[in-house]
Amino acid sequence: MSRSDRTPRLPIADARTVRRAGWQLMRDDAGAVCAMLLLTCLAALAGAAGPWLLGRIVTRAESGDLSVSAVDGLAAAVLGFSAARLVLSRYARGLSHRFGERALARLREEVVDHTLSLPGRVADEVSTGDLVTRTTLDVSTVAATLRNAAPDMFISGIQVVFIFAAVFLLDPLLGLCSVVGLPLVWGVSRWYLARSRDAYLAEGAAAGDVSEILNSTAHGARTVEAYGLGELRNSTLDEAIDTTYRAGMRTLSLRTVLFPVTEFAHTLPMALILLVGGFGYLNGTISLGVVVAGSLYMWQLVDPLNQMLVWVEQLQRSGASFARIKGVGLVSHTADAPVSAPVDDLIEVKGVGYSYVPGHEILKDVDLLVRPGERLAVVGRSGAGKSTLGKLLSGADVPDAGHVLVGGVPVADQAAAGELGNRIVLITQQHHVFMGTLRDNMTMAAPEADDEAVLAALRSVEADWVAELPEGLDTPLGSGGVELEAAQAQQLTLARVHLADPHTLILDEATSLLDPTTARQAERAVAAVRSGRTVIAIAHRLQTAHDADRIAVMESGRIVELGTHDELVGAGGPYSDLWRSWNGER
Amino acid sequence: MIPGSDLPEGARRVPYESPGLPDHRSPLRFLWWLTTSQYRRVLLGALWGSTWMCALMLPPYLLSKTIDEGLKARDTGMLLLWIGAVVVTGAGTAILGILRHRTMTRIRVDAAYRTVQVVTRHVTRLGSALPRQVSAGELTHLQVGDIGRIAQTLTITGPGVGAVIAYAATAVLLVRISAVIAVVVLLGVPALALTVGPLLGKLHGAESRYREDQGALTSLAGDMVAGLSVLNGIGGKPLFAGRYRERSRALVPLGYRVAAITSWVQALTACLPMVFLAVVTWISARMAASGAITVGELVAVYGYVAALLVPVSSLIEGADDLPRGLVSARRVVDILALAPAPEEHRTRLDPPAAPGLLRDPVSGLVVAPGKVTALVGARPDEPRAVVDRLAGYTDSEASWGDLKLSDWDRTALRRHILLTDNEAYMFPGPLRSVVSGSTGSTGRCDEDIRRALHAAAAEDIIDALPDGLDTRLENQARNVSGGQRQRLQLTRALLADPAVLLLVEPTSALDAHTEATVAARVAAHRHGRTTLVVSTSPLVLGQADEVAYLVNGKVQATGTHGELLADQPGYAALVFRGSAGIPGEAAVAQPLEGQSR
Repeated sequence: MSRSDRTPRLPIADARTVRRAGWQLMRDDAGAVCAMLLLTCLAALAGAAGPWLLGRIVTRAESGDLSVSAVDGLAAAVLGFSAARLVLSRYARGLSHRFGERALARLREEVVDHTLSLPGRVADEVSTGDLVTRTTLDVSTVAATLRNAAPDMFISGIQVVFIFAAVFLLDPLLGLCSVVGLPLVWGVSRWYLARSRDAYLAEGAAAGDVSEILNSTAHGARTVEAYGLGELRNSTLDEAIDTTYRAGMRTLSLRTVLFPVTEFAHTLPMALILLVGGFGYLNGTISLGVVVAGSLYMWQLVDPLNQMLVWVEQLQRSGASFARIKGVGLVSHTADAPVSAPVDDLIEVKGVGYSYVPGHEILKDVDLLVRPGERLAVVGRSGAGKSTLGKLLSGADVPDAGHVLVGGVPVADQAAAGELGNRIVLITQQHHVFMGTLRDNMTMAAPEADDEAVLAALRSVEADWVAELPEGLDTPLGSGGVELEAAQAQQLTLARVHLADPHTLILDEATSLLDPTTARQAERAVAAVRSGRTVIAIAHRLQTAHDADRIAVMESGRIVELGTHDELVGAGGPYSDLWRSWNGER
Repeated sequence: MIPGSDLPEGARRVPYESPGLPDHRSPLRFLWWLTTSQYRRVLLGALWGSTWMCALMLPPYLLSKTIDEGLKARDTGMLLLWIGAVVVTGAGTAILGILRHRTMTRIRVDAAYRTVQVVTRHVTRLGSALPRQVSAGELTHLQVGDIGRIAQTLTITGPGVGAVIAYAATAVLLVRISAVIAVVVLLGVPALALTVGPLLGKLHGAESRYREDQGALTSLAGDMVAGLSVLNGIGGKPLFAGRYRERSRALVPLGYRVAAITSWVQALTACLPMVFLAVVTWISARMAASGAITVGELVAVYGYVAALLVPVSSLIEGADDLPRGLVSARRVVDILALAPAPEEHRTRLDPPAAPGLLRDPVSGLVVAPGKVTALVGARPDEPRAVVDRLAGYTDSEASWGDLKLSDWDRTALRRHILLTDNEAYMFPGPLRSVVSGSTGSTGRCDEDIRRALHAAAAEDIIDALPDGLDTRLENQARNVSGGQRQRLQLTRALLADPAVLLLVEPTSALDAHTEATVAARVAAHRHGRTTLVVSTSPLVLGQADEVAYLVNGKVQATGTHGELLADQPGYAALVFRGSAGIPGEAAVAQPLEGQSR
């Protein structure tokens, strides 16, 4: 994959993909959808019976042959149909609700699977916030729709269809009158839908900013106090609220056109039916009952139409969310051809070049050979390319030029094929304590490890605080449980690696948050688990370099010095300068 | 027509310059406060809501008139007149409907963002007094749905009030047709609402259980995404996918339970009035058959009762929203009720007249004014406790210029003495505003920023960013590396330019080259100001005017880096080898002597 294929921002699925995905959701549960459709139609049919029967009563009363027994018969039918409608719509709703629940479960599992299978380099590059929003907030938005809005829309839509059908059956002429409002609804809906998606996306993004500000202010309350940032936080919030308000008013102005037009759209046919039907009645061509039933039908459109209007906004919002969820799956995980098995654990870096931005090279023609079991320290200024080299060595990314081979096979291919397993592990400053027990956090890398092994791993990195946890290994960590300090989290990360037992370990400032004593002990512990382990340590503490078999000094994307500590100190190059200042010689 | 719509900035709409003092004595009082704070808008909302709902009752009346006076009387003029009235009413209802919706939207937006404003302002006032569990857990909860639910509750003020009025209006119309029917309808409708009541209680129970589990599932997904790079590094993805799937599947039956109750509530809300309508139709059709009422009136009765559906659903919706809103308001009220520690005795505002010594009696540390002092301890919590006392975060006898720190007003003290560590929060925003702690106009000039960036060796960060100082920094500076973040934190601390600056491990994530540069430049930048650095790096310690060596929480020795190296073997072992306390370390440390030339 070349640089141009990078995905700095996750894509959003286009309208066609979204439509297809929505269709697919229904196809996957076709039986339930058919049952839903059937029950909803029956309920709508029962609902359409009321005005019809009332029309019959009116016609009979009009012609003077309305006996009490006839009233009783017709009215009992009205009652029966209403009761049937109640039961039918209950089950129709129940079914659609259950369908929504299942569809939602599939959807959220799918997005989590897609997220987990995002290629490492994409996962590193996209904003975590964006991905979190997609897997949490967007899923919740779609959930609300699937459970409430979609069934309501569906049922209302079918009711509308039945009402029109009933009017046509009553009298085709009145039926024609009944649809005069439809072009109006169609036109205004098109106008609205063309604008609403972007407007609702903007509103959602603005509202997200407001939440982020509230949340970050609370998380950083101590910093707010220390730097006197209260005013700034408040004004930042106010600006975000202003933006949200304006975005909200924009969507409101769209609805200001949509709502009255659609609401009026059913008055027009009602008046027309009264007019045409009325003159028909006066001329003796249409019975009074038909006119009454027809206009009542039109008037009954209010309810389903209003229901649909209420949900249009929600549906729009969730359409946007759905597109964002589906976007995650668009970053496909290209399954490469099976890679050949590496012959050994020798790491070869040959003529490697790399740049994030074309023309701005981070690594230039880097050659390096790391023998199995060797301990290599990489030192150099920030921006010298150390972390990038570490990333390439771990297979998380591919070089633009040259090769990074492990046992003769490109390491990125092994990583992409999922065959790297726990053979090469990169640990960076980024640490994360997962929600779950301490044991869960440890055994994720080595499911078979028993408590003894877990505790031993924790002891080896001097995580003494484990003894103070209320429930030992069963103590829940992460939000809602015990919140570890950054240094403790870093120890946890190291202990985790200890359990994972990789043949090659790349430490990128993995102990920077620990005090020097603990850091050194921890580094030694993870390096010492098995004698054959290759350890590549990117570090700023020179103790680490001193402990290593060889040291690579990097400058501006090149390895400028490579050798043992003694050799480099003797060479009088950049490393020896640094070593001298480290030793207090100014 | 609508207040606030055309008013200039800072007027009667969010964001408010001053969102007011919330009533946090109880959730209900809070909701009431949100209502009364915008009483004009609420009154208008009630007006539109009521007239709109009453207008919904008009079509049956007009229909009955059309039938009786136009069709049955065979009067073309009256027919056209009443049909005209139908069209006009339809247009009027549409207009009233949108006026209602616009006003109610503004009311909800106002309530939602006024709540966010008061909560945020309260949080900034609380500062370090905000308990950690609240900042992490409660507030995340708050933003997900609570604000929206609180806002939704205010819908009661419009359509809710309107529903009651429309109900009364219908009663009047019905009494004019038939007293019997009126009584049946007026007693029957509340009975309908009551049948749904107990179901709502059950629904809330099932839903809260569902929502709780769904929230946990959402957190699980969010947690996993946040740790994605870790999962990528160490594996465990199948384990996580499996765990999530399992929890996701377990949620489905809970959802079914909610579905079972919700579908009853929805079906009853929508259809029970129709069943009732059938009963009323029966009664009135018999009356029509016996000639007690006209055909037009029969149609009207049918229409009125059918039209009552809207107010009835509004009332049921309100009955549904209110308890939810109260639960959410409870969370807000709980946060608003947190109060900072009392401040009465803290009256001092200004720093000591002459630059004074900063003393911590517990450890025996004395920090000289105008100098760079370094503090070294084997365990990070020991120096941490010292600086917490010196910055006045923990109560102690610590003093500054012979005056107790606890005499100072807390806000004033923070301006004078700044303590910053690597946990200090980096807020999102343009880099310039992030490091200068203010917005562009009132912020520090670029020259100051450049100087601070230079001192923190952070200029290269700015140069590499696409828009330089105007580049937007993400929350917690996630879009820069750990080392860059640390240097930006240091830049911010230097720019704040406090009389006393306490830095905790400010270079821990920097490479040795950069660390050496930063140590020298910070000392120069802080020249003449009081600075205390907690660090174990020899590169930093070498730049300090004086180093205090802490053992078991007490200062054991002070002197320059060189003096301590010579006199304190424990110190030398600690700063060079990070080896204090490791048995057998002495032997490994041997080659060191040979190396230092």
